[in-house]
Parts: sequence; structure tokens; C-alpha cells
Amino acid sequence: MLKEKYQKEIDEIISRYPVKRSALIPLLYLAQQEHGYVTEAAMKEIAQLLRLTPPQVYETVTFYTVLNLKPVGKFHMQVCKSLMCALAGSDTLLGWIKTKLGIAPGESTPDGLFTLSTVECLASCGTAPMMQINDDYYEQLTEAKVDKILGDLKTSGTSDLKSGPYMWPLPVNAVRREG
Amino acid sequence: MPKHELILLKNMSQPGYSGSLADYEATGGYQALRATLGKTAPADVTTAVRKSGLRGRGGAGFPTGVKWGFLPKDYQGPRYLCCNADESEPGTFKDRQLMERDPHQMLEGIVLACYAIGAESAYIYIRGEMVLGSKILERAIGEARAAGYIGNNILGTGTHVDVWVHRGAGAYICGEETALLESLEGKRGLPRIKPPFPATHGLYNKPTVVNNVETLANLPHILTRGAEWFAAIGSPPKSTGTRVFCVSGHVKRPGNYEVPMGVTFRELVYEHAGGMRSNKPIKAFIPGGASAPFLTPDHLDVKMDFESVAAAGSMLGSGGVTVMEEGTSMVWAALRLMEFFYHESCGKCSPCREGSSWLVQTMRRIMAKRGRMEDLETLLDLCKNIAGRTVCAFGDAEVAPIQSTLKYWRDEYVSLIREAEAADLIMPEAAGVRH
Amino acid sequence: MPDATKTTVRLTIDGTPISVPKGTLVIEAARRIGVMIPHFCYHPKLKPDANCRMCLVEIEKMPKLQTACSTLADEGMSVRTATTVVNDAHKSVLEFILANHPLDCPVCDQGGRCDLQDFSHQYTPTTSRFVETKRIFQKDYFSPLIETQMNRCVQCLRCVRYCDEVMDVKALAPAGRGTMTEIKHFGPHPLNCEFCGGCVQICPVGAITSRLSMYEYRPWMLKRADTICGYCGDGCQMTVQTKGQELIEVNSAHGAGRNNGDLCARGFFGFHAAKHPERLTHPLIRRNGILVQTTWEEALEFVADQARKIHAAHGGQSFGGLISGRCTNEELYLFQKFMRVVIGTNDIDSSARYGHLNGIQAMRRIQGTHRWTVSFEDITSADVLLLVGTNITECNPITGLKVKEAVKKRGATLVTIEALEPSIEPISNIANLSLHHFCAPTPRMGNAVLGLLKALVEQNLAHPDVAQQHPAYVRAVTEMLGQISWQDMQAATGRDAAAFADAAKVLAAGRRVIVLAGQGLLRSAGGHHGSLNLLDLLLLIGKLDQPGCGFAPLSEENNDQGAVEMGAAPEFLPGPFDVTDRESCNRVTALWKTALPPHSGASLVEILHRAETGATKAMFIVGENPVGSLPTQMRAEESLRKLDLLICQELFLTETAALAHVVLPAASSMEKSGTFTNTEGHVQTVRPAIEPVGESRPDWEVFVALSFLMGTPLEYAESRDILKEIRSLIPGYGSLGPAPLPTKVDHTVINRYLTDGYQHDLAARYKLSIAAAQPDGIVQLELVQSLFHSGKLSTRSRGLMEVEGGGALRISPQDAARFALKDGDRVRLSNIQGEMTTTITIRERVPRGSAWFPDHFSQTSAHLFGCVLDPVTRTPSIRTTSVSMMKVA
Ligand SMILES: Cc1cc2nc3c(=O)[nH]c(=O)nc-3n(C[C@H](O)[C@H](O)[C@H](O)COP(=O)(O)O)c2cc1C
Ligand code: SF4
Ligand code: FES
Repeated sequence: MLKEKYQKEIDEIISRYPVKRSALIPLLYLAQQEHGYVTEAAMKEIAQLLRLTPPQVYETVTFYTVLNLKPVGKFHMQVCKSLMCALAGSDTLLGWIKTKLGIAPGESTPDGLFTLSTVECLASCGTAPMMQINDDYYEQLTEAKVDKILGDLKTSGTSDLKSGPYMWPLPVNAVRREG
Repeated sequence: MPKHELILLKNMSQPGYSGSLADYEATGGYQALRATLGKTAPADVTTAVRKSGLRGRGGAGFPTGVKWGFLPKDYQGPRYLCCNADESEPGTFKDRQLMERDPHQMLEGIVLACYAIGAESAYIYIRGEMVLGSKILERAIGEARAAGYIGNNILGTGTHVDVWVHRGAGAYICGEETALLESLEGKRGLPRIKPPFPATHGLYNKPTVVNNVETLANLPHILTRGAEWFAAIGSPPKSTGTRVFCVSGHVKRPGNYEVPMGVTFRELVYEHAGGMRSNKPIKAFIPGGASAPFLTPDHLDVKMDFESVAAAGSMLGSGGVTVMEEGTSMVWAALRLMEFFYHESCGKCSPCREGSSWLVQTMRRIMAKRGRMEDLETLLDLCKNIAGRTVCAFGDAEVAPIQSTLKYWRDEYVSLIREAEAADLIMPEAAGVRH
Repeated sequence: MPDATKTTVRLTIDGTPISVPKGTLVIEAARRIGVMIPHFCYHPKLKPDANCRMCLVEIEKMPKLQTACSTLADEGMSVRTATTVVNDAHKSVLEFILANHPLDCPVCDQGGRCDLQDFSHQYTPTTSRFVETKRIFQKDYFSPLIETQMNRCVQCLRCVRYCDEVMDVKALAPAGRGTMTEIKHFGPHPLNCEFCGGCVQICPVGAITSRLSMYEYRPWMLKRADTICGYCGDGCQMTVQTKGQELIEVNSAHGAGRNNGDLCARGFFGFHAAKHPERLTHPLIRRNGILVQTTWEEALEFVADQARKIHAAHGGQSFGGLISGRCTNEELYLFQKFMRVVIGTNDIDSSARYGHLNGIQAMRRIQGTHRWTVSFEDITSADVLLLVGTNITECNPITGLKVKEAVKKRGATLVTIEALEPSIEPISNIANLSLHHFCAPTPRMGNAVLGLLKALVEQNLAHPDVAQQHPAYVRAVTEMLGQISWQDMQAATGRDAAAFADAAKVLAAGRRVIVLAGQGLLRSAGGHHGSLNLLDLLLLIGKLDQPGCGFAPLSEENNDQGAVEMGAAPEFLPGPFDVTDRESCNRVTALWKTALPPHSGASLVEILHRAETGATKAMFIVGENPVGSLPTQMRAEESLRKLDLLICQELFLTETAALAHVVLPAASSMEKSGTFTNTEGHVQTVRPAIEPVGESRPDWEVFVALSFLMGTPLEYAESRDILKEIRSLIPGYGSLGPAPLPTKVDHTVINRYLTDGYQHDLAARYKLSIAAAQPDGIVQLELVQSLFHSGKLSTRSRGLMEVEGGGALRISPQDAARFALKDGDRVRLSNIQGEMTTTITIRERVPRGSAWFPDHFSQTSAHLFGCVLDPVTRTPSIRTTSVSMMKVA
């Protein structure tokens, strides 16, 4: 039960809105953070908390792509495949990741460590190609960077290649990977 | 390198600027708030914004002061401000930078807007994927609250404004203002029919203003330096101020460039973005995000303001400029964007819902060299039948790539189809459903 | 500039000028002049959603085509619906909608009455340009009663919106987005909801259909009969569709009947009861102790013979009769006439005795009517509604929809005194919509009513007119209530003075105030007093005689109201008029050309007593089952066994019929003509959908036949002749057709009441009913109405049995915790009368300390209950008792 563990957070979240239902997505995030995906029990509990019916929660969950109804790997690699990243070589990059992990988009590695997805534009077109892993962005990707990221994640669970606040202005002499 | 004065990106371009409250205050931050709250009547703030000529930076370009003026004057009860930080239009990444690098600038804008429209609560609807941005904003709100810029009785002026960060959860459509409101109410992000407009029936059915991050970030500057100052920048009278253009694609230095409205695309691409990556000529560019029709090198000298771009047959939209070099397949590019629109159609309106799946399948078939000549007719027809017939502007947007590429590069479609005919592969593709 | 003060606007549609009320949608304005604009997502009951985009029209001065379903008609507007541009737009939208639609019309139950088929026929060429792959949804099991075929869905969301906006159930979820949006319930779980059938009815295509009739028919094969539902007092109009003698399905057209096309599970899915294999198809007669098949001639002659003998030996007073409030008015009328004229007794009663009479007697006494002074339309336009003991979703679901409409669509304020906790469950809960909710246990609902009254008078909220004209009344009431302390009130109701004060203010400030009282109050021991006190409340706030205001007791059985009005009660002649009223007696005698029985009659409980003591020797029981419905303690079986002659007219061999000397098979309401009078006093036509099953016959025919055999012929060739006679006694009765105006209060009666009529029982009525302290392990067992059943008749319907197939005890989560129980556990309930074992289900709506058992399966619990008789109305209250509860392995 989320309530037992997060009573204070839940109360605080609900208090932000004059109408309870607004707290739905924030609470679903809490649930997803807890289990890695939104479980059925969590949907029921959140329905109860917000005085909604479970179908009302369910219909909302299924509308949004960030909310998962099924477990995903420990690291959810979401590679942007929209046009702008594609112009910067995201297709080749995706191919590289597929070979490295041995899985296709929509699949997870047998060890449950990685799930690969393709996603639409994540607002990093100026630093393409890019991918999001769990909460973090990784930008201006190259095959070498991907190798390092995968290695880092496996060994330490995180990688210092993840983006900080959006970098601008780029140093004038910044070198870009030639496509 | 910039020949003009930066406004929105000025602070963050200073070495070492961290975006903290102290840094922001050191550059004169929150002075607009101090000068305005309790000193200028809210109605006069609205007037100043109207006079400045500021137009929305979210896509539609609606005059901000005029929009505020639609709120019912004598309405008792809560009003809301929603800051549209959903930034999901492919090719657009400016709001992300404004939020992550100088959060207080937009927060000051938010509080000023709330003051002007009489709202005591503001929600920043940030797209769900931008976890870092939401954390930065939360921290900044905490700082501002502690310093008395946000919360009860701001600076002792009796103004109350609470600001909350509300994360979306992955749906492009939630950038559309009424879908944003639905989503903020905890529902599926389906756009509402208009009228009624948010100005009278918005969040929780209360008077509401929805403004883009960049729009709001302009406010402190307009209020400290004056409407006249702002109105003189850019291409007055209709396109005033600067815009942060997001340049992506085959350029040397993609990134955000703040320039006065009215510079030419050529200047932006060649002087700011460093020209083409492989020094190949430009084949095509999108001037205002995925929803804007493609333009050709013939349009490189079009001035980047609302009117000129519209006259050239496209739109300035969200400011996302994507440049493609010679050799890029235009059918492929249009298909990539169509895939996006198919993925993101909320499904409310039949023409958009069914049309997007029909278009994407036909495009995939043509790209896979299984097209037929009559497909082109059908594509154009479907585009015509979607545009203008839906609840929200998504319908107009999704047809832009196909319509415009068919207009300028029809031969590329034709040659793909010719290859198909040659290979006698006119089988409908057993394309699967979405991902 | 359009004039803001005007209430109508003028516009032209295709050149035709029309004037419509402000707020009318263009699509509706067009319909008024016969212009049908094609549409899928629009439905008059729902808020515009404009998602299908089918209804595009041209409006002068607007650059783009507009959706007629969401655009309000405006002054000076010029609308074009038939231009080439509009026509092309319709075609193109239809092309989109058809793109992913499977062409499985030949196997689709909607075929032949499908909007998509019809519009396609109208607009599109037979070939499609769509050559891509059609979207395919995986087929999932959806529910036992409702089937989905999502590939056919046009995503208009009418089902989802209906489930939310009208029903307040919110069981349907549009899952996913874009073309892959699929109507589901909750993840992979089968649908669990009210099963009102609304989604089936409102789906414009064949995406949601009824499983009861799946693949059994093509719509054009079906014969239709418009009739009235035989389950509850709401009196919904429904269309029964048949193939030969088979009942195929039931639905209700939008706009039809008092229900305006809405139905509940009982109406929509309960129709199979009539065709249950156990229906009695032949008369039965007892030979050597057992019932054997016989002929009608033999059965009727035997009955007439025996009755004549008993009559000769013991007189008319040795007879008694009971009739069900499910019979038609014609049958009820003829039954009482038969008993009074042919037999010569007033010892007759009906199921209205179980509670409905409590409300009626209260109205007669205080306002001089036996009917509501309001209609369903008044409920929807009320601004304050007070519900007392209704559990309206389960008991009177369609009246419940009127209440929901008033609250959800029109912003009425709801005050509730209900034995309900607000809760989110698969079926809606009216307490959720209430702004001032008082959760009160059924046996002591009246306490909260007193709390409201006390708050009213103490805040001087009595209407000035009443206070000035009848100061003594107001003073007496104030004084009585003054003797109750707030402390005691709080102890009795759990709520403080402030809570009552808030609700009282709302009631006093209302413009159109309606009080609805349901079974929870009417069937309880304090039912009569509670009703009187609610009328007092309306008097005090000056609303009793105001238009659109009034007291509305809800009837449980479909024709309880008719039973009373037809005089199927010892105290009433048809009208109803008091049997003691000279003038009325004279009118009846003049018409019937015979004297009325001299003695005053015995009511239900008294008749059974008389049978037990041997005073009553013969009984006619029509559609009633006292042995199965009454607590064992009331000794119905023992009493009936003592009779020399027991005749039962029945659909099934019930516990009571099993004791009879002769059992006559009766035709169900699916098989006969007549009228029912619904809870609001609306007389509606019942029409046969099928021929009587087997040799069964309408009850009235039996009374006619017997009257001939007994030598006092009552001559009627068809039920219409009986209605004619009813009309001559009750002027205006059964003015079928558009809603007649509700009856008006009788001011002389009100004045008499306010002058001194209130005095004699005020002290008795204005007293808190204090619960005995409930020791640990004790719960209040209550027999309740379930949404999925009505009486015991519905337990013969296979559709409803799929949803609720047996009796389970519903208890609150708190009690579940207290007794360490989980769903499906078994418990033993016991008190000094006996014990029973049952399974439990946990329901949040059940108040702590209560345990609900569905009345429809009450046979196993009958021995636990006792009976409290109301001294005035002689109503037996038989539905609550204390039991100790224990978990069993
Ligand atoms: C499909 C669609 C997506 C949109 N996405 C965004 C967005 O991501 N960010 C944004 O600011 N405005 C977006 N808009 C525009 C908003 O609807 C709205 O016009 C804007 O937030 C108003 O703010 P502004 O006046 O400050 O520009 C979108 C519009 C449409 C039709
Ligand atoms: S959406 Fe449509 S029907 Fe549906 S009706 Fe409208 S527009 Fe009209
Ligand atoms: S296209 Fe990939 S982040 Fe924008």
C-alpha cells in the first residue's frame, strides 16, 4: 500500500489542487516510482484515495506513454526516433544499441536490466541524437558514448554522461560528430 | 557573436550563471516584481503587455495582453494561470533551456501574469519526460517562496500567488491548451470544444489563462524596460520582441538562438547555426516545428516574423527550425513526422484519428516502394478532409508535412511509386498497428 | 447586437426561418423543422462532445464548417445543411469512420438498425479507397450480459459519457489513445457495473450488444410491443421484442415513457422471468393431498362449489383475499369488486400494505391527496431535494436518474438521510452526490428527520405565513422539539447541531423543494410517523402547497399505487375513498347495484390471524406469497394450512401455492393488457408481447369466470371494459398520454391539520427512537432491495441471476475488520428465534453495525425476523432484527 509508506507525500500532493482528481498523475508517478510500473493494486488504491472508480484511473493511465502498465527493465532506454534525431543519425544509433543489447524495441534483456523503446521527440533536437534512460537524458550520442553508458549503468547504476541543465550556448569550438 | 542584445538568454550566457535565486537577483532579477506589485494596477499591467505587442510563443501567436483581457472582469472566485511547459513539438527545445537554465526568469513572469489576471494559483504543466526540469523548477519555487516572491502576501503587497509544478506524462496533445487543462484535471488529455474558451471556462471551469514558458519569461523585461522598448524590437508592429529559435537538423551548430523577429532564415542558418554540416546546399527546412509546412531554399530570405512566414505558406509556430540538406528524402522526412502525428493523435475526432492511421500506412507503403499513383490523389484528399474539420489544430498540423512535401517534391513520391510499379509490388502492406 | 434579455433566437436553416429557445443546439433546431443532420456522438441526454465530426454544417460568416451538435443557435444565424461543401464533408467524415470498420454487417446484431449502415447507405459509394490494414482489437470476454466487438467501435464515446453523465457509474474506460482507443472496464477485468443496458442502447453501431439475445435474430424479424416494466414503481416504458412466442430483447426508445428511454438492469435484462421453464401452465388441484394437473373447467367448478358451500355455512366474512401489487389496475379493481360483491367481504389486502400505505395515509391526513403532488419533471427541475431512506439506485433506479439529473446537470442541492455510507463502488451511490448526508440506520431514520425539524424551528426558519397563521402549530412543534436536547440528538444520530443547521438552511432557502421517501423509511417501524414528520417539514418551510414542491413516497412494486387506488385494501373503496365515507359508499353501491359488506375489513396480518383462529375459512391469494415473504414467526404457513379452501393464482408454484387446494396459472404482465399506475400516479398501458404461456390466463378473466359460476356475474369482455368502469368511479383515471398535471393539495385538509389535526399524536411522533446498546458481536440484520432483483419474481430471470445469483450478506469494511472477515467468508447469524449461515461480501456503502441481506433470497432468513405492526396503518414492519454474527469455517 502506498498510503502506509507515503502518507505525507500523498496528503501534500492532494493539497495542491482544489479538485482531488488533479492529483491523479502525480500519484501514479509515486506508484510507478515504487514498483517500476503502475500495478493494478496501485490503481485501485489511488482510485480510492481520489474517490474515482478504477476504470477512471485506468483510462487515464493508458493515455500517457510515460506510465507503464507492465514491468520494465531496471534501465528503460528510450531512443528518440523523430525526424530531427533521425537527421542526426538516430537510426544508426538505434541499430547499434539493438546489437549491443541483443533486443529489439519493445523487448527487455533476459537479465531484466534493460528495456529498449523508441519514443517520439523529447525536446533535445539541438543535441540529437538522444535517448532517455529512466529519468535522465543522454544527448549528442555516439556509439562510443553508448558503450560507455551501458558499461556505467551495469557497473554503477548510473552514468556521468547524463545531461545536466540544457547546455547553451555551445562553446563555439565544440566539435560535433560528423554524420 | 550575436549582433543584437540577448534578452531571454542573456543571464544564462554569462559565464558561471547557475540559475540560482542569488544569481538571478544579482542580474536585476525580481526587480519587475518589486516595481509592479502593489504599485501598478493589474489592469495597467495588462495594458502594458498589450502595448508591447507580445504574442504567444507557444505556437498560435495570439497577442498575450488581448488574451488576458478576455477574462471576465467582475467574476468573483478563483482564476488560474497555467504555464504551458509541455514543449513536445518536434524540433522545439527552447522552453527546456529557459526552465533549466534560468527558472526564476519564468517564475517572475508567472507571478506578474498572475498579478495581472488576478490568479492566486499557477500550475506549470511540464512534460513528464523532463524530470530534471521539474526538479530545477521545484527547487527554484522553494527559493522564491522562502524569499517572499511566491506565496502569501508577496513582498508585503497583499498579493497571493502559489505556483506548482505539475508533470504531464507523455502526450504531445497535452500542449494544446484545453487538452492541457483536461490533463491537469487528472483526465485523458483530450482537447475540449471551443467555445467556451479557457478565458471563461478553463481549469475547473474557472477563468484561466494558458501561456507558454517563453511568453511568460518575456514579462519581467517588458515591465522593467517598458512596453515601448519591447515594441521597437523585431518587426513591429505585429511581430515584436525576440524569439528563441531552435535550430536542428543538418547544421553545424544546432541549438537555441535568440534573435529579433524579422531576421531571415538565411541569417539564422548561416550566421548563427554555423551553416550546413557537410557544406551541402539546403534542400528544405521547417520554419516552426513539425506542424509547420516545409519550405524550400527559395524561402531562405523570408523574414522570420509571423506575417512573412505565413505569407510564404508556412508558419512561425513554436520556433523550431529544422534544416535538411540536399540528398534527404522528403518522402522519408514527411513519413517520419507522420509517424509522430499518428502516435500522438489523441483519437477524439474521427478525421484525425482514422486519417492519421490511413495517412501513415499509405506513406509507409509508398516509402516501401509499394505505392500506387492514385495514392497521391488519396493522400491529398485525406489531408484536405482532415484539415479544418477537427476539434483542435492538431488536424491542421498533421497534414502539413505531407501536403507541403507533395507540393514541392512530388517527383520524389512519383519516382518511388514508379519503382514500385516497375517491381509490380502493388500489394497493400500488411502493416501492423502502432508500436 | 442580439438582445441579451430575449429567451428565444431566430435563425434560418436551409432558408427556413425558425425561432427556438436560447440554448438550443443547431442540430436540435434543425430537427424541429424536420432537417436531420447526420451524427454519431451527439445524443440529447449527453453534453456535446463533437468528436465524430459528422454533423458539420455551413454557418454564414464562419470561415470553417461547424459541428451542429455543439454550436448554439444564435440570433440571425444562417445555417446550411445541404450544400455541396457540407455534403462532401459528410461523405469524407463517413469515409474516415468506415476506414477501420469491419464489414461484418451480416453477423452484426445491430444490422438493420445501425446509424453507420444508414448513413453509409445515404452517402458513400460502395467501394472504399481504404486499402490499408484495418485496425484489429483482440477480442476479450467483457461480461456475462454485455458483449463488445470493439472493431466495430466508432469511438463516439456515447457509452462512456452515458455511464458517467447519466448513470454516475463510471464503469467504462476508453483505454489507449488514437485509433487504438478501446472501450474497456478495468484492465482485463470483466465489466462490473449497474448493468443498466444504457451502453447497449446508446451505441450507434454494433460495438456493444446484449449477450442475452446474441445472434438470435435480425431486427426486422422482431415483433414489438410497447409496454410497462413489471418490476418497480418507477413504471418504465419498454419495448419488448419477440420472435414468435420467444422473448428476444427489451429496450426503450429515447424520449419514451416516464423513463425517457432509460432502463435499469431489471428492465433491460430481467425479461426472461416470464418464460422460465417452471411457469405454471395448467390448473392444479389437490387430490389425496397432492396437487395434480386438471382442466380449467374442473378447477373453476371445484372452487365455485367449495366457495358456495363455505359461504352458505359461514357467510362472506369467512373469506379473505390477498392480491399482489404487480397485477394490473383492472385486475386489482375486479378482485376487490369480486370479494366485496360476489363474496361479500372487506377482508382484502395487497402488497401496498408492506409500506406504501404509510406514505399514502400520511399524505391523505395532512394534504388530502393519495398521490404525489409532483412529477418526475418536477424532480429534475427541483433546486433542493431531500431523500430519506430511498437507497434510490437500488430501489427506484429511474427516479434515481431524475435525482442525478437534477444534481449533476442542473445544480440542485441534495440532502440525504440514508442508511448508506458514501462510497465508490461498481454501482452508483446517491450519497456521493449529497452535500448534506446523514447516515442513519434504517430503523431509526426518523431521528435525523427530527434533527432537521429541530434545526428549522430553532433557527426560526419556519415560513412567516405559517408562523403567523398557525402560531399554535408552530409553537407546539417547537415545544415538542425543544424537549429533545441536542446532546441526545447527537447521541441518536451521530451528528451535531451545526450539521443539521446547515442542511435546514438549505431546505428553507430552496425554491422548489421535493422530499422523496423510500422503502427504508416507509417499510420501517417508524414509517408512518416519519412520513407525517416530513410533511410537517414541508409545511413549516411553506413548501407543501407550492408548485414543483411536495412529498413523494416511492413505491416498491410496480403497481402498489394502483392497488391502493383500486381499493384493494380493507379501508378503501376504489378512488381511494374511505369505506366509512357515506357518500362514497353510496356512489359505489349505485354503480355496483348491490350493498357493500357491512363490517370493516381485516388487513394482511389480521387476515392471517383470523385464518389461524379459524374465523377465516377460505382465501383467494393472487400473486402473493405470504409463506415465502413473511417471517416464520408470523405463522403464515400454519394459518393457511388451517383453511378449508385456499385458491392461489400464480405464475410459479410458490411456497404459498404449494399449500393451495387449487392453483390457477396466471398470465404474466408480458402476456396481458391493462394498466399500471406508477409511483408518481401516472396510469400507463400494458400490452401483451406474447400469448399467455401454456393455459395461463389473466387474473381478471378468472374473477369473471368465478363470478358467473357463483351466480353473481361480473360481466366484462375485455380488460378495457373494466377500465371504463374504473373511470366512471374515478373521473379522469387513466387519461393515458401526455403527463397529466399532478394532483393538488387540499387546502381545507391542510388547514384542518394545522388547526388541530396535528395534536393527537404529536408527542408520539416527535420522540427520538433510541437504539438499545449494541453489544459486541451483534449486528442489525436488514432485508434490503437489490438493484438486480425485484421481489422474488426476478430470481427467475436468467439474465439477472448471472449478475446476482444468490443471497450474500453485505457488511461494512469496518465490521469485516471487527469480525476478522474477508469477502466470501461464511458467517452464522443467530438470535433467539433461530440461526442461519451465509457468505458475506464487503460493501463500503453498508453502514457500520448493519448487515444487509437481499430480500429476494430471504427464505433462508425468514425465521430470524419478527413483526412490528403500525397501530394506525396496520403496516407490518418485518425487515429488521438483531443478530449475533460469528465466523464459521
Ligand atoms: C497540438 C498542439 C500542441 C501544442 N503544443 C504546445 C506546447 O507544447 N507548448 C506550448 O506552449 N504551446 C503548445 N500549443 C499551443 C497552445 O495550445 C497554446 O496556444 C499556447 O500554450 C498558448 O500560449 P501562448 O499564447 O503563450 O503561446 C499547442 C497547440 C496544439 C494545437
Ligand atoms: S461530433 Fe459529431 S456528431 Fe458528433 S455530432 Fe458532432 S460533431 Fe456531431
Ligand atoms: S527529434 Fe529527437 S529530440 Fe527532438
